[in-house]
Amino acid sequence: MIELKNVTKKFADFTAVDGISLTVERGELFGFLGPNGAGKTTTIKMIAGLFSPTSGKIIINGFDTVTQPIEAKQTISYVPDQPFLYDKLTGKEFLYFVGGLYKMEKAKLHGKISSLIEHFEIGSWVDKRTEDYSQGMRQRITIAAALLHDPRTIIIDEPMVGLDPRSSKIVRDTLKDLASRGISIFMSTHSLTFAEELCDRIGIINNGRMVFCDGREQLKAYKQKYNGGFESVFLELTK
Amino acid sequence: MALLVHILRYKFISFLKTTFDLRPISVIRGVGSLLVFGSFAYGAYVLSHAVTKFVLEQTRIGLFLYHRFISMMMFVFFIAVNLGNIIVSYATLYKSTEVNYLLTKPVSYTHIFVLKFLDNFLYSSTTLFLIGFTVLLGYGTYFGYPWYFFVGVLLFVLVPFMFLAACLAVIVLMAIMKTASRFGFRRVMTGIFLLYFGFIFVFFRVTNPIQLVEDVNRYYPNVDQYLSELGPGFLRFLPNQWVSEFLFYIASNDVQRALPFAGILLGVAAAAFVVCLLIAHRFFYRSWIVALEVQAQGSLPYHPTRLNLIDFRKGGFLSTHLDSLLKKEFFTFFREPSQWIHLMVMVVLTSLFVVSVGNLNLRLRVTDIQLMTYLVLYAFGGFLTSSLALRFVFPLLSLEGNAFWCLKSAPIDSGKIYLTKFLIGLVVVLTLAEIVSVATNIPFVRLSARRPLLLWFGIFSTFWMSFAVVALNLGLGGYFSNFTEKNPIRVASSQGATLTFLFTLVFLVALVVIVIVPLSQYFQSIFIFRNFDLRSIVLPGTILAMFSMVLAVFSSAVGLRSLRRDF
Repeated sequence: MIELKNVTKKFADFTAVDGISLTVERGELFGFLGPNGAGKTTTIKMIAGLFSPTSGKIIINGFDTVTQPIEAKQTISYVPDQPFLYDKLTGKEFLYFVGGLYKMEKAKLHGKISSLIEHFEIGSWVDKRTEDYSQGMRQRITIAAALLHDPRTIIIDEPMVGLDPRSSKIVRDTLKDLASRGISIFMSTHSLTFAEELCDRIGIINNGRMVFCDGREQLKAYKQKYNGGFESVFLELTK
Repeated sequence: MALLVHILRYKFISFLKTTFDLRPISVIRGVGSLLVFGSFAYGAYVLSHAVTKFVLEQTRIGLFLYHRFISMMMFVFFIAVNLGNIIVSYATLYKSTEVNYLLTKPVSYTHIFVLKFLDNFLYSSTTLFLIGFTVLLGYGTYFGYPWYFFVGVLLFVLVPFMFLAACLAVIVLMAIMKTASRFGFRRVMTGIFLLYFGFIFVFFRVTNPIQLVEDVNRYYPNVDQYLSELGPGFLRFLPNQWVSEFLFYIASNDVQRALPFAGILLGVAAAAFVVCLLIAHRFFYRSWIVALEVQAQGSLPYHPTRLNLIDFRKGGFLSTHLDSLLKKEFFTFFREPSQWIHLMVMVVLTSLFVVSVGNLNLRLRVTDIQLMTYLVLYAFGGFLTSSLALRFVFPLLSLEGNAFWCLKSAPIDSGKIYLTKFLIGLVVVLTLAEIVSVATNIPFVRLSARRPLLLWFGIFSTFWMSFAVVALNLGLGGYFSNFTEKNPIRVASSQGATLTFLFTLVFLVALVVIVIVPLSQYFQSIFIFRNFDLRSIVLPGTILAMFSMVLAVFSSAVGLRSLRRDF
């Protein structure tokens, strides 16, 4: 579960995120949308612990990200928009490295890595160094690493970038499956179709402020108001 | 040619825009850097002036011998520029995205080579150039030379000298890449190392400074006449000798005999550049392809066997966090050629120094000379420690790169990450520094009829020196971190790194000041049998330890704070 309470992030005079409040419940797949530079990645980085909020509180599974960062991070997984990896490690070594950061036992880690390699169909190149991976390969390794320690919450920034159709389907099915198993997912995306298809609730941010945050039913009402398409709703709200 | 000028123009504009950033914070940083650089330059100038004065007026070794020492220093300087250029040019010529981009454009290989060669030369030689020029200023003002002497030496001696070292470096590098396709990269690199090692070893064997000093004392006072007979013949073919001969004849008011040496330097540097261009015209693209192949060899699937001692799949006695962090550091270091090759170079040079110094036979029982020798060796040990820390510890945090999100979003305390990196740096630097310290102290222990006090003091002070220098480099490395730069050499030669190095040098000077009085008293007790109270070394030792500790704590606070910054 994720709770954002009046969260603001300023960079000198510029306010990137301006007093956002929202809650993502257990088992909910929350889609976070907005135009470029709206504050999506800043919000996600604050939830993941890469940025500290200027004011407000972020509570993840009962832990404050500022006062209890280690406890909060133990329960989450973060997948960045750019899947940067340690170039000189192989994909498999990277998975072992991440498992170690979450203090996983070796025996459990071996089993988990084998099943994830099979699930994401990465066995043919997982023993190569990540410096030779394509964007899609890196993305699949990053998502696999995020699932290693059975997180209660997943924060994922642009999961579909660079993925081929088959990998895209695997990731989509995986996210649905995780949500159905009670894992809360906070996902940022630019794909309106993907968000509409997958998410239980959608939030739209513009100029650092939430301009829309509702479920599918409410979205339908908006769509009727703006001539039937999600794209029209999005463009109208982010004008 | 017009195309080359066109690209150079845009590179220059880009350089100006990044260098002369007029935002207040950048201006403050720039002024701060200028002050530190200025102070350092002034310090180097004063030191060079004082050493010249001391050597020529106090020890009175004569102009010829002094210039023989200058020749040896210029040899070290030449090798430093040369090795620096080999290592940096591997990254700039063969791993740069700019080269990849230009290869897709209608730009000739030779033009690309010239662009990257200049880039490489200017980038890797600027700091050494600054050091060289300020030392030259100190030296020249002692003799009261006019301003045009400095301009002349700068343009016609120092620049060609460094340019020649850089040209030879890229020739060697292209030869390495060319032969690597036939004999394998590692085999060729080993051969090159052995060649350099052998050459440096032979040079110092043949030009043994101790032998020289003894000969001076034997032939004194007609030293200049006799010494000209003592130099080995092959020296006259080395560029460092041309520089020292030029300076020697200028100092002897014999301009006519000096000028040919500047002419030789200029001519040979120009010829080397032409040879460079010819080789590049023929082999640069081919060697670039070889570099790609070498990189591709590293991308073959890696399957660790049971024999692999370090393997992520294996557990160990360490905590899971420490185990993961250490293995990650190990693999990222030893799979990056610019890292392990540079470490090998440092280890080889350190070994050479250790072997040479360990065999020193100190016979002159003169307090001032032995004190000065000890302090020079002590300072050199410090300089080596600082160089190691700058090259391998300063970039440790920056090299996390964009993948740092992985650690930042993981449930691991930033203090633990910092401590792991500190311990890795300390183990490497301390080990090499202590080996050098023991080796430099052994001749003095022999000299003092096997009294081990200096050895223990050396080990003690080296520990604290290494502790503080590693902490300083890691801390400021975090403060000046640049997560977008993947090349460790570029990180270690950035503006922040240069500032850190200058701070380290100031720290070393402070250490020398702290130990100078007790060491002087100790040498007096050996040579003129004055009483030496052991307590007189305890207080400076305590001050040294506390000073190092304060510096380490302050630097670590800065570094830890930088880890908690937004990423």
